[in-house]
Amino acid sequence: MKNRLPRPRIAFFDMAGCEGCQLAILDCEDIFLDLVDLVEIVQFREAMSETAPRYDIAFVEGSIHREIDADRLRDIRARSHRLVALGGCACHGNVQARANDWAPAENLQRVHGADTAHRVQTDGRYWPLWAHTRVRALHEVVEVDYLLRGCPVDRDEFLHLVKRLLAGSRPTFPAQPVCVECRRHGNECVFLQGETCLGQVTRGGCGAVCIGGGYRCDGCRGLLPDANLASHRQLLRERGLDAEAIDQRYRLFLSGEITDREGTDEQ
Amino acid sequence: MGSYLVERSVFIDWISRLARHEKVYFPLPVSKSSFRFSRVRSRSRLALEDFDDPRQAKPFRASACIPPPVRLLAPDNELLFTFRRDSAGDCHPTPVLDHNRRILAGVRPCDLKAIALMDRFQGDGIADPYYLARRGNTLLIGHDCLQPCDEYCFCEAAGSLSWRQGADIFLTPQPQARLLVEPLTDQGAALLADAGFPACSDVQACRARAAARRPTPFARQFKAPLARVMHAVAESWQSPVWERHAGRCFSCGTCNLVCPTCSCFDVRDDFNVEDPDSGRRTRHRDACMLEDFAEVAGGYNFRKSPAARQRHRVMRKFVYLPQRFGGTGFCVGCGRCGRQCTVAIDIFTIATDLLAGAGEAA
Amino acid sequence: MKAIDPRILTPTMVRISEAADMTAQERFFRLRLSRPLGHRPGQFVMVSVPGIGEAPISICCGPGDHDRLELLVRSAGSLTMVLRRLEAGDQVGIRGPFGTGFDLADFEGRDVLIVAGGLGLAPLRSLIEPLILDRQRFGRITIISGCRTPADELFGREMRAWSRVPGTRVIRLVNDTAHLPWDGEVGLVTAPIAGLDMDPAATLAVLCGPPVMYKFVIMELAGRGLAHDRIFIDLERRMRCGIGKCGHCQINHLTCCQDGPVFRLSTVQSLPEALA
Repeated sequence: MKNRLPRPRIAFFDMAGCEGCQLAILDCEDIFLDLVDLVEIVQFREAMSETAPRYDIAFVEGSIHREIDADRLRDIRARSHRLVALGGCACHGNVQARANDWAPAENLQRVHGADTAHRVQTDGRYWPLWAHTRVRALHEVVEVDYLLRGCPVDRDEFLHLVKRLLAGSRPTFPAQPVCVECRRHGNECVFLQGETCLGQVTRGGCGAVCIGGGYRCDGCRGLLPDANLASHRQLLRERGLDAEAIDQRYRLFLSGEITDREGTDEQ
Repeated sequence: MGSYLVERSVFIDWISRLARHEKVYFPLPVSKSSFRFSRVRSRSRLALEDFDDPRQAKPFRASACIPPPVRLLAPDNELLFTFRRDSAGDCHPTPVLDHNRRILAGVRPCDLKAIALMDRFQGDGIADPYYLARRGNTLLIGHDCLQPCDEYCFCEAAGSLSWRQGADIFLTPQPQARLLVEPLTDQGAALLADAGFPACSDVQACRARAAARRPTPFARQFKAPLARVMHAVAESWQSPVWERHAGRCFSCGTCNLVCPTCSCFDVRDDFNVEDPDSGRRTRHRDACMLEDFAEVAGGYNFRKSPAARQRHRVMRKFVYLPQRFGGTGFCVGCGRCGRQCTVAIDIFTIATDLLAGAGEAA
Repeated sequence: MKAIDPRILTPTMVRISEAADMTAQERFFRLRLSRPLGHRPGQFVMVSVPGIGEAPISICCGPGDHDRLELLVRSAGSLTMVLRRLEAGDQVGIRGPFGTGFDLADFEGRDVLIVAGGLGLAPLRSLIEPLILDRQRFGRITIISGCRTPADELFGREMRAWSRVPGTRVIRLVNDTAHLPWDGEVGLVTAPIAGLDMDPAATLAVLCGPPVMYKFVIMELAGRGLAHDRIFIDLERRMRCGIGKCGHCQINHLTCCQDGPVFRLSTVQSLPEALA
């Protein structure tokens, strides 16, 4: 590209998450060295250990739980020209956003049992960290320029974003359901095989890899802006799922979004 | 042109031999219930339905496979051009057209009609050179249907069941595991010339035998002639039917993406990471049921509601394209959209409801 | 059998001879072609930066046997962001011209009323230029051009020059002066229509602007007794091909890229999806 900007300084940071998205990016190994020719990677805990004061593009993985994490994110934001939420946790809270359905104390008890909960709650070193925990997506704390969705992110979308930013453009991620990619890839519809799937209400861009691999869509990339949830809930009911099972399905990855969209569980 | 009456297994042998030196595509099973037009590499999975028991081996499912065979002429992720920048920074884009010869075998009447309609659409006005390059080097071997696919099919009502036009060779199942093989074009005749098939002495009788084998009526029927259905759709702009069928719609685009006469596309540019001075533009199947399909740069969406998009999709088949190209509708009655829709929104039902509404209004 | 152009969806690279920001959002480009495009007023080209993308851009210069092509590009998307940084000497790809455009013969001897909202002035400039250039062929020319603030005004210098041509009136409007110096009027483009000295039987009106503008301008023109076959509208749609195939610009049974983007109102008024 003749009109390419100078090599941007890129950094990766992780908050609460599994670091799987960073691994997904390292998985671009066939072109990773070419990529490193185009960008300057200044911070990447999974691969190296340098730090730099300013970044052109900061990729932040994981969700924000504690206030000290929020402060760290604000600091990264202040030092970055562009900030990208890397993966489902950073974009919408992902699996851990389920924790927001309960008060921290109740949550602790559900996960670790009463004994452990009691020990933590009476420990002055730990409990202050837990007491006000609320799982937040990055955009609930700072301004986010771009979202790379998915659990983990899609390598082609990552490359698309990097290339577009390199060229002085911006990435385009159409808000289209997973079904579009199933049809493009010739996947047989999960529903027509008698199973159920969240593809119709979930943002695509993943190449429908889960369905292509013989599984179903659990919604890790977040809800479509115009998702017809009422119709989807009814469809799942018609396929024999009860209200609790449906909530379980929606709340696996979509807790951070589903409550806002559907309201409380009146159904 | 002489026709042939040949044992089915002999014909399948011939297809698999042909596939050794030609690119032959045939509906091959990809799972228990689904078939896809795929490149023939061996004889093993080739099957054609039986005259006496058309549903026996269930290859009849192959009749409406996803994606439809017309997609081989306009594939997803199709390369439009490549480019490279020279040392002076000047860019040189070069179109990449696919002139490879290919043979699509086992194309059902509904899909033959869809391809014929796409031939007209793609060749109209400023022609699409990519489609026509592929089409001009593609031979079609059609295959008759003696049984409707299932309860979604309505090919006879849509005027597709007896479609032959565009096929170079046409196959009709016959009793005792035999097949009537009719060349319909010079190219088809040339392909069959040295196949060594026995000649058919009475083509008319063979055709009549197959026609008699079909159930009457064949699959679902509209309650009025197709012309009246098309008229009812044309007059239905304000109909409450659109809203009724949109309530459960996910706007997922599946009905468009499986339709053999949907051809809308989006384009995408990319450059190579390993060599940023080179890259390509590709095109991808798009769908007018998707929310942002008719949105302009300023953000205004000309078909914001699912009902408006549903109406556009159906009107395009029954009104808009027929208006431009005359004659029959662009819905071929293959039933794919209704069959694939997870909430059973079915273009046949929509058209039937509009027809009923028109009757009440009249 | 008609000729099939294998390059119809592949851009031809041309060089930018002049590039300048016109406002904070719009950048003006003059391209040098290897041969005249032979376009009509109101046609458009598909503009590419290979590797980034392509978008339809109205031609904003008049027709003629020249090797110039002028475009006004608003930064609105992933492609125009890149176009915005291009300078003289850089290349862009073009395809076209596409669409029907205006037929100057329709305007011969008529009074012409041009109503432009914002960026709508760019395509209409391709019509205004030949009207002004061959002034005596046409009747009175009235140009109403509106934008948000004085800082958003397009072709301001040219509009002042047009206003000095005999028999030509230019009404420049802003919605809001935004505390900037302004020598035009304040208000919407609909406002001056009621007070125009206009003979509806001898006038043709031409409209281009954002989707919401049309309804209100058409209402004003109807109030002045202008028949619908005397009103031309230049419509905007998403376009991916320019050859009537991609489906995005379809307006009922018409395609905006081939049957338009310029339509007589009488053609599209019965099409419910034509106007917002």
